[in-house]
Amino acid sequence: MTSLVSARNVSKNYGDLRAVDDVSFDIEKGCIMGLIGPNGAGKTTLLKALLGLTDCQGSLSVLGLDPFRQRKELMQNICFIADVAILPRWIRVYQLLDFVEAVHNHFSRKKAEALLAHTKIPAKAKVRELSKGMVTQLHLSIITAIDAKLLILDEPTLGLDIIFRKDFYSHLLEDYFDEERTIIITTHQVEEIENLLTNIMFINNGRIVLDASMDALPEQYVELLASGENADRARKLNPIFERDVFGKKVLTFEGISREQLTGLGELRTPDIADLFVAKVKGVTA
Amino acid sequence: MQGQLALLERELWEHRSIYVVPIVVAIIMTLAALTGQVSINGMEHVDIGIVGASNMPDNARAAVLSGIMIGLSTTFVFSMWILTIFYALDSLYAERKDRSILFWRSMPSTDLETVLSKLLTAMLVIPLVTFAMILVTHLAVLLFASVWVAARGGSGLTLIWGSVPFFDNWTATLIFVLALPLWLSPFIGWFLFISAFTKRSPFLTAFLPIAILPMLENMLFDTAVFAEAFFVRSIKMPLFINPGTMERLFEEGDGFALLADAQLSLLGLMDLSGFLTNPGLWLGLIVCGLFTAAAIYVRRYRDDS
Repeated sequence: MTSLVSARNVSKNYGDLRAVDDVSFDIEKGCIMGLIGPNGAGKTTLLKALLGLTDCQGSLSVLGLDPFRQRKELMQNICFIADVAILPRWIRVYQLLDFVEAVHNHFSRKKAEALLAHTKIPAKAKVRELSKGMVTQLHLSIITAIDAKLLILDEPTLGLDIIFRKDFYSHLLEDYFDEERTIIITTHQVEEIENLLTNIMFINNGRIVLDASMDALPEQYVELLASGENADRARKLNPIFERDVFGKKVLTFEGISREQLTGLGELRTPDIADLFVAKVKGVTA
Repeated sequence: MQGQLALLERELWEHRSIYVVPIVVAIIMTLAALTGQVSINGMEHVDIGIVGASNMPDNARAAVLSGIMIGLSTTFVFSMWILTIFYALDSLYAERKDRSILFWRSMPSTDLETVLSKLLTAMLVIPLVTFAMILVTHLAVLLFASVWVAARGGSGLTLIWGSVPFFDNWTATLIFVLALPLWLSPFIGWFLFISAFTKRSPFLTAFLPIAILPMLENMLFDTAVFAEAFFVRSIKMPLFINPGTMERLFEEGDGFALLADAQLSLLGLMDLSGFLTNPGLWLGLIVCGLFTAAAIYVRRYRDDS
């Protein structure tokens, strides 16, 4: 496998604020990477750097290109959806297709029109006349019809109702994704995308606190549900985080084998949201 | 190339006023002509029917007709410049205000290409659309004049269509609508830059310095370099040879008796090579280039987050 994205010691400052702090990572072709972090963690800055929308220190290569200096070449092979509001509100659907067709070498108008035919979006409608959900459908249809290697989604379903959100992700998987394509996605609704991710990356205060494949998580992390003495014994194994659930203690461990914890209580693999809280809060606590 | 055309097309979609404004002016001017409201400088409310008088010398008729056409064109050029100001100030501001800049920048077009498409729209597309509407209005008004003449037993074909110096008038008009934005290009560059730069109210941000700089200069240094630069730039376009058009047409005095040998050649009033070699023109274009480069830089490097 070859690295699609390769970052080495990437940093970005806004004045005194260090939005991205010396991060290094690789993203391989064919994976769906969830980039998760609290507000102000540096997610959007990192995405902007990947998209060539902002300059940064360190070395960053996306599809073998320098994103900031070779943005035009890069954009032939990258697509981007930010939250729903970025399509120009005055544009008509067919004008949008005309424009993308003219500037994008890898755009199939036929495919976009076929996808739009399954929606209730009229070709002559202006974007401002469409509902939020329809605008997202429109954007996703256009992007699916672009044969791009990398798709970057920044809170793509923000403000959408549950039906549109489910729809969005199922179309993303069915129509867009294949092993030739790669997706990087940020969202606050982690539970909804948990099942489609192949990799996750947690970012907090500009630093990466976790970078792992989903398959590796059960080996690395385990949650113990225990109470009383068992909980005290488990605490000696240095859990990274502890919380209360219905009077019981939930302790999260990193790098502790399940055998060491057997007999102390119920064991399970933490879900991403809990693991995220454990990693982020555990580090700062 | 195809990408640049798509970017220009986008400007026409987004800023429909580029063609709506000249169309509205065309309709108003045609209606005004139909009701006899068209006046040319020095002749109040000339009923265009008088040009059908058969005792009028040909050269005078040609001069009057061309004069009416100039009057029409002038209105268009005035509205064109207002339109250009508003367009340029909005062109790089609107996309930031509605956040669609993120979409445009996710497409494979560079900031250079995008900003150039806006400069080209201001310098070329708006003048050409305006010119096309000038032609349409001229033809409509002349058609009306010839019908008027024909209704009174004259020959509209020879008296009107036969005597209009089309080539002279239209060539000169085309040169003028293209030369004006070149001459005013430092303002266009400034407006583009402000449009890319300002966080709010591009209109105020652009015009306050134009108003305040000359005043400050006058108070602090008692000089008028800025005032003169702005004034000369706005008023004295070095495309025309003095004395002006009207003095060549009419005798001195209150009335508007046409000179017996009145010849109205607009091209004859223009000094194109003098304009193109005028240092002021090139200095202005350099200033425009610098402001445009600054606009590209701001669009590329500024990170609004």
